[in-house]
Amino acid sequence: MNFKEIAKRGETGPLTEASDFLMKRVSANVLKLEKKYQISWDGKTLINLDDEMADRCWQAGRELLLSSGIFSMNSKRIIELDAEEIEEALRFAPAELAMGQGKDAVRAYHRQVEDARKPFVFSGPFNADASEEHFVKLNEAFAQERLIDSLLFPGYLKKLDGQMIRPTSGLASRAAMLYGQWSREAVRRAGRPGMPITGHAVMALNEIACTNEQWGLRSTDPRAMVLISELQVDDVTMTRLAYYLAYGCPIYMAFTPLIGGYGGGPAGTAIVAVASFMAAVVLGGEVVHIGPQHIKFKQQTNQHSLFLASLANQAVARNSRIIATTSHTTSGRPGSEQYAREFSALALSAVTSGSNVTGPRPAEPLGFNNVSPLMARLFAEVSHAAAGMKRGEAAAIVAKLYQTYKDKIDLEQAPKGQAFEELYDLQTLRPTAEHQALYDRLKEELTGLGVPL
Amino acid sequence: MAAETNKDAIFAAMREAIESYDSDAAAETAKRAVDSGIDLLEAVEKGFAGPIRELGEAFDRMEIFLPQLMLGSDALKAGMAVLEEAITAGGGKIQSKGVVVVGTVEGDIHDIGKTVVAALLQANGYTVHDLGVEIPASRFIEAAESRKADIIAMSALLSTTMLYQRDVIELLTNKALRDKYFTLVGGAPVTQAWADEIGADGYARGAYEAVQLLDGKKEAWAE
Repeated sequence: MNFKEIAKRGETGPLTEASDFLMKRVSANVLKLEKKYQISWDGKTLINLDDEMADRCWQAGRELLLSSGIFSMNSKRIIELDAEEIEEALRFAPAELAMGQGKDAVRAYHRQVEDARKPFVFSGPFNADASEEHFVKLNEAFAQERLIDSLLFPGYLKKLDGQMIRPTSGLASRAAMLYGQWSREAVRRAGRPGMPITGHAVMALNEIACTNEQWGLRSTDPRAMVLISELQVDDVTMTRLAYYLAYGCPIYMAFTPLIGGYGGGPAGTAIVAVASFMAAVVLGGEVVHIGPQHIKFKQQTNQHSLFLASLANQAVARNSRIIATTSHTTSGRPGSEQYAREFSALALSAVTSGSNVTGPRPAEPLGFNNVSPLMARLFAEVSHAAAGMKRGEAAAIVAKLYQTYKDKIDLEQAPKGQAFEELYDLQTLRPTAEHQALYDRLKEELTGLGVPL
Repeated sequence: MAAETNKDAIFAAMREAIESYDSDAAAETAKRAVDSGIDLLEAVEKGFAGPIRELGEAFDRMEIFLPQLMLGSDALKAGMAVLEEAITAGGGKIQSKGVVVVGTVEGDIHDIGKTVVAALLQANGYTVHDLGVEIPASRFIEAAESRKADIIAMSALLSTTMLYQRDVIELLTNKALRDKYFTLVGGAPVTQAWADEIGADGYARGAYEAVQLLDGKKEAWAE
């Protein structure tokens, strides 16, 4: 099924209210499917080790998408799908995807559970508020980390010339162009001019303005779009999608299943997550990003999110060729030990469950430039070290890491961290001695816990 | 004694309707309460208010999830509509903690955060008017005026749209209505610093915090 057909169904499908779609089509069906396929969480498991449940979760997710469809939020119509259409989309989903240019071109690929191949690493500012003053430097500092395969979401220019940006304004368009220009400049300065930049300029439709083969984001750069929880798509995403598909960009499609929301608990939300993986592929997603969100904790390293991500990723890894990646959103902030312990726990879970990795970032950044390229290096190292590890081994380490931060998951209690300009020497773009020492200490600690760094 | 037993049986049936998320049963048991001639204000408290509060607490402990909270809220609305009509007809008035208009700001289609806030506030005794999503500044104010609200609660889920929370407060000031309403802001990118910067009266990180904040700052918004 092509974009034209999806767009048409978004205009002609059954008309309904969002609340009816979510309650009657999603929630009601999830409750039935949880029972039918015996998907459950025992209240303590952090990484799923049950292959049969992963396979049942895949079946349940497919049945959910078939019975719910995808809701077009603006037209209020349901894009309904039949089984054959879902199968066809899954059959033709790319198992490998090229991105970037020249000697900096790289390939992301579908991974298996406990796959020995290293995961693809998407990392960068991850849409943190970035100041105009430091935008290029902080992106250059990420791009100079060689383990990062694609520079991810080069920061949100919230203010320009001291002015806050309104999303549909002319200023937003100007900000999007500068975003493209400065991101390209950053990867050039780092000596990786063709490095793929995964773009998501957050500026509604104006973000398209950052596209330019010479100075901005190119057709070889992945462009990100986000589905709305649960199984919903809006006009802005559809419009971006129409443009980027025609322009030839790799499509990076994200979704954030919400534990405690319309899918219920971790088990039910895992079913929603699997359905969302498929929905993303049907819509044209080529790399599919799961961000296992939580209604109470608002981050992704809590026990519910760890379990959900592991179960949904294993379902996808074992039953499809989807290139999956998992986002890592923490309570602790860059510059703190907790930040690294949290992203390491989720990375060990995600990588052994067959996912690639995206992140890390704090769930609630404090102020501008709350990022650390050095911590991105550690994130990539842990993710690479997890390749080939057995889930059981990873689970034992994750349990120890989880104990260190479980009482500080509340965003108010979590360490505040520091800004990029406090963690780095802005002249040399090297970490300060103190930040380097934190990295060394954490690496030693993780090695001691059994992560083969 | 028989009347007392009858009253307790009605309260139990009302409670059961909320706990089983059954709107039809809630309306039916409310009608039973009206027909029986019992004290309807007591029926509100013992039949509906208690169990809906407990539902809110169970949601906070993650023993139940959003669908159950919303169905419980719907059941409450259905039952309260019956009781309110009878109480008003008898010249009485249901005590509400306060009147809230809540919505997601202009340009923002995210619904869940605001919906949870609305459901939990209602579960905790507030009268809530949920305006929906993509609500322009002027509509927040029109709704607050027409509903005689005490509180304007604004959700923004995007870094780009939180700007419109500022606009609501600025427009209130320009219309000389700023002191009339307690303004509450929340949403993923929103922080206390942002609330301070735009002059919001309150910031809540989550839905339960919103209830706690309003309960704790009653002197700031109650007449």
